[in-house]
Amino acid sequence: MRERYLYHVASPCIQRVALRRVNRLILLLTMLVLAGCAGDRSILDPAGQAARDVALVWWVMLTFFTVVFIGVIALWLYAFKRKHHEHTAAQERKIARRWIIGGGILLPVFSVSALLMFGIPAGKRMLPLPLSEPPEVIEVIGHQWWWEVRYPGAAGGEVVTSNQLIMPAGEPVDFHVTSADVIHAFWIPRLGGKVDMLPGRVNVIRLEADEPGIFDAQCAEFCGTQHAHMDLYVEAVGREEFEAWLADRQGERLAELAVANDEFSQARETFVSTCAACHSVAGLSTATIGPDLSDIGARPMLGGGVLPMEEGAIQYWLENHQTLKPSNKMPSINYMDTATLESLGAWLETLTP
Amino acid sequence: MSTIDREATGPEDLQKLHDDLSEVWGNPKGLKALTIVNHTTLGLRFMVTGMAFFLIGGILAMLIRTQIATPDQNFMTPEIYSQVTTMHGTVMMFLFAIPILEGLAIYMIPKMIGARDLVCPRLTALGYWCYLFGGIILSFSMVLEMAPDSGWFMYTPLSSSEYSPGLGSDFWLLGITFVEISALSAGVELVVSILRTRTQGMALHKMPLFAWYILAMALMIVVGFPPLILGSILLELERAVGMPFFDIAGGGDPVLWQHLFWLFGHPEVYIIFLPAAGIVATIIPVFAGRPIVGYGWVVFAITVMGFISFGLWVHHMFTVGIPQLAQAFFSAASMLVAIPTGIQIFAWLATLWLGKPKMKLPMLWIIGFLVIFVCGGLTGVMLALVPFNWQVHDTHFVVAHMHYVLVGGMLFPLMAGIYYWLPLFSGRMPSETIGKWGFWLVFIGFNVTFLIMHWTGLLGMPRRVYTYDTGFGWDIFNLISSIGGFVMSAGFAMVLIDIALHFRYGKPAKTNPWNADTLEWANQLPPSPYNFVSLPPIETRHPLWEHPELPREMQEGRHGLATASHGRRELWGTDPLTGKVREIIHVPSNSWWPLFAAMALAVVCISLLLRWYPVAGVGVVIAIGFLLRWSWENGAHPKAAPDAKVMPGDPPLHSRTMDGPGLWAMTTAMIANGSFFLSYLFGWFYLWTVSPEWRMPDASPLSLVALVVAGIALLGGSALMESSVRRLRKQLDKGLAMRLYGAALLGGLQFVLILWVMWNANLAVTETSHDAILMVGLYYALLHSALGAVISLLQGMRVGYRYVGAHAPFEPVVVAYFWRYNVVVFWILIAALAVLPRVIGG
Repeated sequence: MRERYLYHVASPCIQRVALRRVNRLILLLTMLVLAGCAGDRSILDPAGQAARDVALVWWVMLTFFTVVFIGVIALWLYAFKRKHHEHTAAQERKIARRWIIGGGILLPVFSVSALLMFGIPAGKRMLPLPLSEPPEVIEVIGHQWWWEVRYPGAAGGEVVTSNQLIMPAGEPVDFHVTSADVIHAFWIPRLGGKVDMLPGRVNVIRLEADEPGIFDAQCAEFCGTQHAHMDLYVEAVGREEFEAWLADRQGERLAELAVANDEFSQARETFVSTCAACHSVAGLSTATIGPDLSDIGARPMLGGGVLPMEEGAIQYWLENHQTLKPSNKMPSINYMDTATLESLGAWLETLTP
Repeated sequence: MSTIDREATGPEDLQKLHDDLSEVWGNPKGLKALTIVNHTTLGLRFMVTGMAFFLIGGILAMLIRTQIATPDQNFMTPEIYSQVTTMHGTVMMFLFAIPILEGLAIYMIPKMIGARDLVCPRLTALGYWCYLFGGIILSFSMVLEMAPDSGWFMYTPLSSSEYSPGLGSDFWLLGITFVEISALSAGVELVVSILRTRTQGMALHKMPLFAWYILAMALMIVVGFPPLILGSILLELERAVGMPFFDIAGGGDPVLWQHLFWLFGHPEVYIIFLPAAGIVATIIPVFAGRPIVGYGWVVFAITVMGFISFGLWVHHMFTVGIPQLAQAFFSAASMLVAIPTGIQIFAWLATLWLGKPKMKLPMLWIIGFLVIFVCGGLTGVMLALVPFNWQVHDTHFVVAHMHYVLVGGMLFPLMAGIYYWLPLFSGRMPSETIGKWGFWLVFIGFNVTFLIMHWTGLLGMPRRVYTYDTGFGWDIFNLISSIGGFVMSAGFAMVLIDIALHFRYGKPAKTNPWNADTLEWANQLPPSPYNFVSLPPIETRHPLWEHPELPREMQEGRHGLATASHGRRELWGTDPLTGKVREIIHVPSNSWWPLFAAMALAVVCISLLLRWYPVAGVGVVIAIGFLLRWSWENGAHPKAAPDAKVMPGDPPLHSRTMDGPGLWAMTTAMIANGSFFLSYLFGWFYLWTVSPEWRMPDASPLSLVALVVAGIALLGGSALMESSVRRLRKQLDKGLAMRLYGAALLGGLQFVLILWVMWNANLAVTETSHDAILMVGLYYALLHSALGAVISLLQGMRVGYRYVGAHAPFEPVVVAYFWRYNVVVFWILIAALAVLPRVIGG
């Protein structure tokens, strides 16, 4: 199997990943103590305010509850070891009441109140309340088993892409999420909480990335056989870069790109006669059953996280997708000869705006 | 009344008494063993079957841990993995946890409250067979590689016919509904048995705490299971017929399924926890050598828990996107559960504190329970905090939390209970050494598996993925979890070997080996089918501590109901509050009907699965036939209690009174039915108000006139039933049969009118959810009108046979209750389905 997740090279965590392989034990201990960055999906390595609040809430709760836990267990064990004293019935009632009211009522009431006082403000900050300046809106639509991402507010017209989500850093973004089939869940662990993607409904979640960077996301609600292979590549970039990225993906630019290279006219014909029933490429087709492919060459991974994008990867996917991602909804196209698949793959790789 | 102790009888009389009791209560051998209805035998069957399913569920768990032990594994295909995870959850919840605890309650409750059997023994048997057949059908789907694969929660649309086209979801929906018959029947009869058959003098506040816990569990089953049954019926109708209850395009809403599922699913967690806590509350005082501290506090905590647990279901749905206010409410309510839990934990602590605790094997499991359950409870409070929940929901953190609560809160107490009551099951003592090894392996294995899994979840690993990539820091933790899982399995293997060996090599137990306080230890070890030769009066919560001679006295027949020459199986019917004896309850003996009825229902289940609807129809008719035949052998029927002779001074037989246990069973069953009906109304109003694409026609398709006339016919029938009962109370049975036939006729009229409304409404049930849900309501009413008519008709016939009349007035009272329920429900239905849409409009 090829080395997967090439795009991790760009991840700030790469050194730690390498280190982990060198000495897992030391790292295990270190992580248990420090619990710093532990991969691209750790909620304890926050990269945005919402996730940072939750991580803090977690550490406070862990500390407090560890004390409660040890206290309760220690009391029980002590009750076993304790020397037995004879008490009068009245004394017994008094002791009993002290334990039950103190431990059974006051302790939980105190803990729960403290938790709510601490937790409610954290929750409130995550709500998509109205802002003085309306935030960028990105629509994300879940499919079995890929992501459709739309930018309705892009200057010059809506931009559509799949399995990658580019967002502006340093500003709040409202994600309007829904589903085209079963229930999925949208979750970028390092930025904040998750929200379900339901057919027929739109849920809104507001997230903000502090700084430019790459954050993983993965479907969080069991959505069928290939739930495990429904990754979303998320990258936060500066405002200008974001605008430029959108501008590159305007319909006419993409349509030009699709027909730019005469060398691939055969591949385009194959696409239009076969693939276009499900996939769209701007200027050639408008089908929406499978992912839009207009900028596929510029995406960092294929098949919802099954393969990293590199030369020949698309051809490899076309030949083996039912083994790489069994039961995915794309019919096998093994009946095509290698040359056809090769040119199809090569053409799709050129779709890099 | 036989409250006065009988004189000690001579050894010959005593022998005759034992022979008579064995004759009446004895279990047949060979093929006829299938007719046994006795609670001891059936309780054991429930528990052994539950253990078998535990092994199946455990093997599935090991398959899961093997697959995700390391990244990029190809041990199982993704399809099989989805089936395995779905079945692991399903088997453990529905085929292991609930039935085995029901089995324990079925076995233990009559013995603890000083009765000889549960109050509806044939219902126990029906429940067992439904459980066994349903469990086999469901498990068989794995052999066919057609097991359900959309998760044990069956979220639609994933489980719908579009996204799960095979038979998997059908296996789940039909199999689970079949199994739930057993839960509901156990729920109903445990409630009635606890309330009405406690031995003389066992007032509610003198009842063992275990009985309180089981009472709460049973009531929660009665109220909590119907929403899921309704949900399963709706989803199966959607899959089989295309009625779009959950389909957005047809005006349905998939979130309705989640509400119905968790309306059941959350109480279910407490249905599992409460009996286990009952075991804890039974064992701790025995090994602390003193009564429980804060009995009243614990009863209060149980009650509060029972109520709160029905207000928490939305905390499973915090990420669905429901309104903030609702989230805040459910978040706070979820945290409040910490209070009743805390009260119990600290009442147990105070009991140990003030007692002289001894560390025996059952206590070891109790300590294990405490450590694991407290940890699970604390992570539960964390999860109730909405912002934190949004992060860790559907990750391995939740998997870890849930196993801490369920294994800690159910399995560890269950093991404690099994070891504690082992002498009762086998007459032998468990070994301390192998048992301790087993405990430590399970305890260590469990924590290694699941403590680390919290961390895997915090690192972002989602649930239910069949594979994952290396590079997220999950690898080593998953491997550790898997190793822990196998250590835990080894521990359970050791426990099972220990228990198996003890049946042969265990030291024979003496009477009351742990020096316990409750009546089950007054049994012979192992117990006889009739439990007690005589039923004692009880003055305290701790009969065996305060009267150590009681077991001997009971075996010598010195207390109540020490006769069986009349050939009836008898127990006391006592006042629900005070425990004063009111009547003698005679319960039916061994019968084929429960098995036959369950077999007919199994045919229905399988033919629905295979879409052989004509066969299913025939099966339903046959099943109803069996059930009615079964109900025929009651009251003054020759096979029940043809003559009403009792010992001088004893109270009358319940079938000769107006307030027997059947009435209580009917009431409890109608609570379950009412819960089903309320769930239906919830569904109707939910779709109406929340569903995004709901379409309400401008004019209601239901004929209001016809419905009102049907309602009046129903009222007339009910009035006739009431007047029959009033006259029976005055010992008058002239014209009784005519009244009953009249009620049946009016019920028939109601039936015809509803049928006409259905016909006339031209409902497009596969087009819109509005028409589909309307049709379900009409079918509900239709079924009830038919049932009312048929049972009144049968009552009329029974008057002719002299099974019912002024001498045996009981049955019409029960039937009249059903009619009352029918009236209330039908008029609410008219208001909700036909009047309200006309008033408010779409």
